Amino acid sequence: MTEFILALLKLIFIALLFLFVWQIARAIGSHLGGFERRTKSKPGSEIVFVRSDNQSGLDFTVDDVVVVGRSDQADIYLDDSYASEFHLRFSSIDGGLVLQDLGSTNGTYVNGRRIGSPVGLSKGDAVQVGKTVMEVR
Amino acid sequence: MTRNAEGALIVAAALMAAFGVALVNIAGQESIGDDVALTFFVMITAFGALHAAVRRWAPRGTPYLIPLAALLASVGLSEIYRLNREMASLQKWWILIGAGLGILTLWGLSSVGTQILRRYRYIMLLLAMVLLLLPLLPQQWPLPIRGLAVNGSRLWVSLNLGFIEMRFQPGEIVKLLIVAFLASFLAERQAALTMRTRKVGPFEFPEPRQMIPILVAWFASFGVMVYQRDLGASLLLFSAFIAMMYAATGRNTYLVVGGGLFTVGAVAAWSAFSHVQTRLEAWLAPFDNYETTGYQISNGIFAMASGSLSGTGLGLGRPSLIAFAPTDFIFAAVGEELGLVGSVLILAMYALIISVGMGIALRSRDLFRKLLAAGLTFTFGLQSLLIIGGIVRLFPLTGITLPFMSYGGSSLVANFVLIAMLIRISHEERV
Repeated sequence: MTEFILALLKLIFIALLFLFVWQIARAIGSHLGGFERRTKSKPGSEIVFVRSDNQSGLDFTVDDVVVVGRSDQADIYLDDSYASEFHLRFSSIDGGLVLQDLGSTNGTYVNGRRIGSPVGLSKGDAVQVGKTVMEVR
Repeated sequence: MTRNAEGALIVAAALMAAFGVALVNIAGQESIGDDVALTFFVMITAFGALHAAVRRWAPRGTPYLIPLAALLASVGLSEIYRLNREMASLQKWWILIGAGLGILTLWGLSSVGTQILRRYRYIMLLLAMVLLLLPLLPQQWPLPIRGLAVNGSRLWVSLNLGFIEMRFQPGEIVKLLIVAFLASFLAERQAALTMRTRKVGPFEFPEPRQMIPILVAWFASFGVMVYQRDLGASLLLFSAFIAMMYAATGRNTYLVVGGGLFTVGAVAAWSAFSHVQTRLEAWLAPFDNYETTGYQISNGIFAMASGSLSGTGLGLGRPSLIAFAPTDFIFAAVGEELGLVGSVLILAMYALIISVGMGIALRSRDLFRKLLAAGLTFTFGLQSLLIIGGIVRLFPLTGITLPFMSYGGSSLVANFVLIAMLIRISHEERV
């Protein structure tokens, strides 16, 4: 009788372990699935840091909205003392890439010209913030 | 998964720990009492506090890692309790301390973010070097901090403060510092390392001077093996380096060069060191050397074999026959008492942690965070693979700990910090 109870308890323990792992695996699975769908529907533009003190070569893709700035709350951290906390925003709108300055202190330059209102970007455009230059690829 | 679901799973993991300890008590025909309540209390305090810290300082962080770590710690703690009561009560303290340091990590990174690690990379490298050399301090000298030789390896440092003596393995923390340094270093050098200028057959090589860091890493990890006689740590350091070079550049060349250097190093180590030959002998023919070098591995295999499909049940096997079961061979002990099903579930938990970590790395947009997440996850995964592979005789045994399950303070603390860093990265990247 005791043996039966012990075997039962053992199986209950293993079953509970399984339930736990299964719950988490399922949650992770649905999380990853959502991610795949998002990237497939919107092929984003790639931005590369071509000139920077510490971040040359860093690249990221814009598939939705990306805020760049000196704050750790920004999506992309910008290691440049001339940058503002939340300096600029790249948005992907109907397949096109739009750049907006978020009221930064030192401004944002596209191909050498300071921007006031949001502008559309195309491949090869150079975006400059302080000493940092990013290029659209 | 929401934060509340994460909290519920943490409570479930703490209940599992209590259930495990209760099963050990039932099997030993003892009364169920204080230990069950204490185990539940410790688990819920440690992981609950970590959960609260994530809510406070990294609210967008991934919710999957803490419950998985908690469940691994629960199973590990139940098995350690079954093997050695004294170690189990120490392990409870280490879980509390580890969670505390994890919380401290989250708090420390809350104001500046992981970018602070990027800025102070050379300080981290220096700190890593100092920590790595600490175990080589003399064993007898006037200062209260001394090196310590345990089982022929110089891995331990003893800090004697007069009223208390603390022992720790700085190697575990060094691993994290080196990964953070490499992420920062490679994030900056990526462009130069990716550029290819020379072509030899199917392989394209960057400028030869870009290979210098690889050689430095190779010599450093070889040094660790020669002076500290630590196979596991040196393999882990070198592999982490190669993996991160590959992650940063996507160039196969680094894998080929790294693999070649590894082979040269392995053959050299095998021909020069008796302890490497011993390990290899025990791996290839454990039963022929049963009385000597193969004893531990053979008993690990007997244990897992007697566990069969669903195990003997917690507290009903004889895992204490394995040498160093709570530290090196915890996986074999679990294999005996929870069987193949339990072992596969444990493997699944590690696989899930690794997939979550790599998912964070893949979806990170900032190169530094991407490399940091990839490097941390890689070392965690490789460490689990090497020790489990060593126990089931897939590889020669390297004396490293199984993250979150093995008894051992330094390892637990380092892995809590590692998980906290991954959560922080996923918070910053909103993935």
